[in-house]
Amino acid sequence: MTAYLIRRLLLIIPTFLGITIMAFTITRFVPGGPIERMIAEARMQKTGLSSTRPLAGDQTQPLSEEQIQELKKYYGFDKPILVSYFFWLGKVLTGDLGVSTRYYDPVWDMIRDRIPISLYFGSISLLLVYGVCIPLGITKAIRHKTQFDNISSIIVFIGYAIPGWVVGVLLLIIFASQWEIFPLGGFVSDDFQDMTVFGKVWDLILHTILPLIAYMVGSFTVMTFLMKNTLMDHLASDYVRTAIAKGLSFESAVFRHALRNSLIPMATHFGNNISLILMGSFLIEKVFNINGMGLLGYESVVERDYPVVMGILVISSFLFMVGNILSDICVAIVDPRVTFE
Amino acid sequence: MKLNPLTQKKIRRFQSIKRGYYSLVVFIIMIGISLFAELLINNRALIVYYDGEYYFPTYGQMIPGKVFGLDYEYETNYRDLQKRFRAKNSENWLVMPIIPYGKLETDLKEDRYPPFPPSFQEEHYFGTDNVGRDIVARLVYGFRIAIFFSLILLLANYSIGISIGIVMGYWGGKFDLFFQRIIEIWSNVPFLYVIIIISSIVVPNFMMLVLIMAFFGWINMTWTMRTVTYKEKEREYILAAKSLGASNVRILFKHLLPNTVAVIVTYAPFSVSGGIVALTSLDYLGFGLPPPTPSWGELIQQGWANMNAWWISISVIVSMLITLIVVTFIGEAVREAFDPKLHTTYE
Repeated sequence: MTAYLIRRLLLIIPTFLGITIMAFTITRFVPGGPIERMIAEARMQKTGLSSTRPLAGDQTQPLSEEQIQELKKYYGFDKPILVSYFFWLGKVLTGDLGVSTRYYDPVWDMIRDRIPISLYFGSISLLLVYGVCIPLGITKAIRHKTQFDNISSIIVFIGYAIPGWVVGVLLLIIFASQWEIFPLGGFVSDDFQDMTVFGKVWDLILHTILPLIAYMVGSFTVMTFLMKNTLMDHLASDYVRTAIAKGLSFESAVFRHALRNSLIPMATHFGNNISLILMGSFLIEKVFNINGMGLLGYESVVERDYPVVMGILVISSFLFMVGNILSDICVAIVDPRVTFE
Repeated sequence: MKLNPLTQKKIRRFQSIKRGYYSLVVFIIMIGISLFAELLINNRALIVYYDGEYYFPTYGQMIPGKVFGLDYEYETNYRDLQKRFRAKNSENWLVMPIIPYGKLETDLKEDRYPPFPPSFQEEHYFGTDNVGRDIVARLVYGFRIAIFFSLILLLANYSIGISIGIVMGYWGGKFDLFFQRIIEIWSNVPFLYVIIIISSIVVPNFMMLVLIMAFFGWINMTWTMRTVTYKEKEREYILAAKSLGASNVRILFKHLLPNTVAVIVTYAPFSVSGGIVALTSLDYLGFGLPPPTPSWGELIQQGWANMNAWWISISVIVSMLITLIVVTFIGEAVREAFDPKLHTTYE
C-alpha cells in the first residue's frame, strides 16, 4: 500500500509537467496575448478606434521596435518556450504564481479572494447531495419497481437530462425576473456592508438558493443512481440471501450487511469531488454572476490573462490528481480486500 | 439481416420497456420532422400557381420577384405575394408552409421593436427573438444542427476511442502506460477553455467545431473500452481462440469487438445528449458556430440577457428539456435491455 501510494505520488510529477507544458505552449502560440493587446491599446489611443482585434489592412505600428522588445522581455516572450517555461516553473515551485497581465495583481491574491466563494457553494451542495442521495438511493433500491421508484426516477432523470446552468437560467427567469422572489444573481447585494447581521444572513441565503439548486442538479442524479444500483447488486448477492435465509430480518440484512458494502463506490467519488468543490462551474457562475473560481478562470481565458490561467491550471490539476489518490485511499479504507500491489 | 438470438432478445427487451421505446419513436419523429423542416417552416411558398404555371420554390434556386409580376429582382416575398393574390381576387394562388418564416429572416414591424411576444395572428406561435426572427423556426433548424452535430461528434469520438482503447486493453504493457499518462494529461487540460481560445481566433465552421471537440472528446470512450477489453480478454473464449491459433487481428475483430458492442451501445445515447449540451454551452458563451446560424445556446443567451422576453428562454429551455429527456430515457432503456443482470427484489 505504501509503495503503491509513493508510486502514485511520483507519477503526479510527469503528468503535472505534461499538463503545464501543453498549456504553456498554447498560451505562447495563441494571438491576442498581452503584447498584442498593448499594441492594440496604443493604436486605439492613436486612432480612437475601439477594436480589440487588429484590422486586416491596418499595418501601422504604434509602438517602436524597441518598445516591443522591452515588452517581450517584461513578459518573458523573448526567450525560447522551454527556457521561459522552466523559469515559470521555478517561480511556481517557490510559491510565486506571477502577476496578472490584466489587473497587475498577484495571481495568488486573486485566486485567494475567489476560493471562499466556490468553497461555500461546493461544500454546501456536496453535503446536501450526500445527505439526500444516500437515503433516497436506499429507499429506491428497496422499493425497486414500485410507484415511488418510478416517479422519483422520472423526476431525478429530468434533473439529469438538463445541465445545471440551463436550470439556472430557467430558475432566474421564473423566480427572479417574473415573480421577483429571489435576486437576479450576484453573491451578495450591493448594500451588503450596511446590513444588520440578520439581514446579511438572510441576504446570503436568498442569493444562495437558486445557484445551489443549479449546482446540485447534475451530481444529484449520478449519486442517487450509484447508491441505488450498487445496493441492488448487493441485495441480489449470495451473502445477503444467506443472511436472510438463516433468519436475519430484512432491515438488518440491508443496513448491517448490504449497505456497508454499497458505500464503497460512494467513497470513491468523494476524492474526485475535491477539485469540483474548489473550482466550481464557470457556466453556473456566469449565469448567476457569482465571482467564484470558475468565473475567474473563464474571464482570464477570454481576456488572455495567461498568468491567471496558468495559476488556476496549476491548482486545479494538482487538486484533481490529489483527489484521485485520495479516492484510492478512501477505497482502501472502506474495503479491506483492496491492497494495491 | 440476420441477428443473433441474443441481440434479438435484447431488442425485444428494449421494446418491452415502454418509456424508452416510445421515447425512441418520438426521437425518430423529431429528427424526421427536422429533416423536412424546409417544407414546414419557411418563408418560401410550397406551391405557387401563377398564370397557368406551377412553381415549387422550396428547394433549389431562389425565384426573383419579376417572375411573378413584381417589380424587383431579389427573392420574392411570398407572404406579400399571397396578400396581393388575395386582394386582386385573381386565379393565381399559393400555399405557404405552416409557419411562413425563414430561419434567418427578420420580421420587422414599422411601429414596434422586437422581441415580439407569441401571437397566433402573426403566425409567430412562440414569438420572435431579440432581432425579430421567428423562434419556432430557430428552434427547429437549431435542433437539426445540434442533433447532427452530436451524431457526427459521436462517430468521431467512438472511432478514435474504440480503436485506441481496445489496443490499450489488449496489449497492455508500455503502450498502455504511455497512453494512460497521455489521457491523464488530456483530461486535465480544461478543454472548454482551449475551444474558447481557438474559436476566438478563428470563427469555426461546423466540421471544424466537430474536429476540435473530437480532439478532446475521445478520452471517455478510450477509457471505457480499455477497461472492458481488460476484463474481456481474460475470459475463456479468448484463451480458446488463442490456443486454436487465431491471429491477434482475428481475436480483436471477431471476438473482442462484438462482445464489447453492448458497452458501446449503452454509452451512445448519453454521448448524444452530451454533444447537444456541449454545443449549446459553447453557443451560449458565444464561442460556438458563427452568429446567424440557428442555435439553442444563442437563444438561451438572448433570453438570459433579456429576461422580460420570457417566451424566448421558456420555449428554448422546454424544447431542450424534451429533447434531452427523450434521449436520456432511450439511454436508460438501452442500458436496462443490455444489462444481463435481473435484479432480485425481496418481498
